[in-house]
Amino acid sequence: MKTFFTILLAVISLTLVSCNKETATTQTSVMNNLLTNKNWYLDYSITEGLTSTTPSVFKSYVGQSTYFITYLKTGVTQDSDGITGTYTVELINGQSQIYMQLKTSNGNPFEVIYNIISVGESNMVLSKVISGPATKLYFTTK
Amino acid sequence: MNKRSPLFEKILICFSILLLLVQEVNAQTLTKKQQDSAFLLHPGQERLRKIKKSIAKTFVDFVGNDVSLYGALDFSKQNINDNAITAPINYLYNTVNNNTYNSGFSGGFRIDGIFKEKHRYALIFGLNRIIAGSNYKNIHTLSPFIDDFTHFKADNMFTTLSIAAHYKKLLPVNDMNKYKFYTVIGPSFDYKISKISDANLINGAGNRAFINLDLGAEFDNKGYYILYGHYKLGNYISSSIVPVQLNRFEIGMSIKTKDLF
Repeated sequence: MKTFFTILLAVISLTLVSCNKETATTQTSVMNNLLTNKNWYLDYSITEGLTSTTPSVFKSYVGQSTYFITYLKTGVTQDSDGITGTYTVELINGQSQIYMQLKTSNGNPFEVIYNIISVGESNMVLSKVISGPATKLYFTTK
Repeated sequence: MNKRSPLFEKILICFSILLLLVQEVNAQTLTKKQQDSAFLLHPGQERLRKIKKSIAKTFVDFVGNDVSLYGALDFSKQNINDNAITAPINYLYNTVNNNTYNSGFSGGFRIDGIFKEKHRYALIFGLNRIIAGSNYKNIHTLSPFIDDFTHFKADNMFTTLSIAAHYKKLLPVNDMNKYKFYTVIGPSFDYKISKISDANLINGAGNRAFINLDLGAEFDNKGYYILYGHYKLGNYISSSIVPVQLNRFEIGMSIKTKDLF
């Protein structure tokens, strides 16, 4: 009986220990799945910041639906302006980001980092990380 | 008519008796291999016999155990509180929220018996295919761009192994020698054996083990079969940042294995 109870105790302990199986890549994997193989149409671009003359916050809304960007499962990205490159979804200090290495149609390389504010099946909000006022980009899949 | 001679009949009877005797002797005769085996030690069988004896000694107060097979229909709904999720992910509320009971099924076996000739009990071992409606308690918005959404998507289809220990109280209803009505109460434990999706593991929210409180009623028809209805209220056994409350109604039937096989 002692052996039986030892085995039972071991099974119960194993059960409790093995409850959570989250890995470091779980969150990026889920975001990648939501992001890839869709055309993301830019609906709005909003810039917030202080004006030079007054301390009030100004916002600029630009309703657009002609620009779109696609993130492929292969790690390649391309947009409607002909800019192509590679991208990775990363989690840095708790902040989810899309890191892109791009080339213009002329072949000039440049890098862009977007903070992911929210990503879902059909809508996405990104924040462009540049010096100065932050720009939020609102995308939908239409 | 074909008439047999008395001598022929006597010979036939004697031959038949002899044939039967020979068969009987053959049945009792052990082969050489069986004779050798009878003198050999069988450590495996010996150990099994000891374990059986030990279990019988330990559970001497548990008598009248009947093993039955059961099948049941499950109606399940889970209440999900995703307030603590920090991952910047959105699932449109209307696409994931389904505040209804969805049907699954379960099957297994149960042992019904009496403890100390007084307390009736049932031990139930089952495999459950749970298909649950999902009720998300929190609705988030990113107005005016993203309407109602949740940060988390819980798995609503999964398979569990379960074990339950129920105390059965016989109700003084009707003719108790024929039909028996019971109320049952007791704990049960579910362990998810199906794969947990990545979406369900976000921020360490995934859990495999549920502990439930079971309440129900059972109807025993002259010992031929039992019809039952159980309500199970379950929670994760360990703390989670996304507490999930699993509500289940189980309607099933069990039949004794000795009547089946």
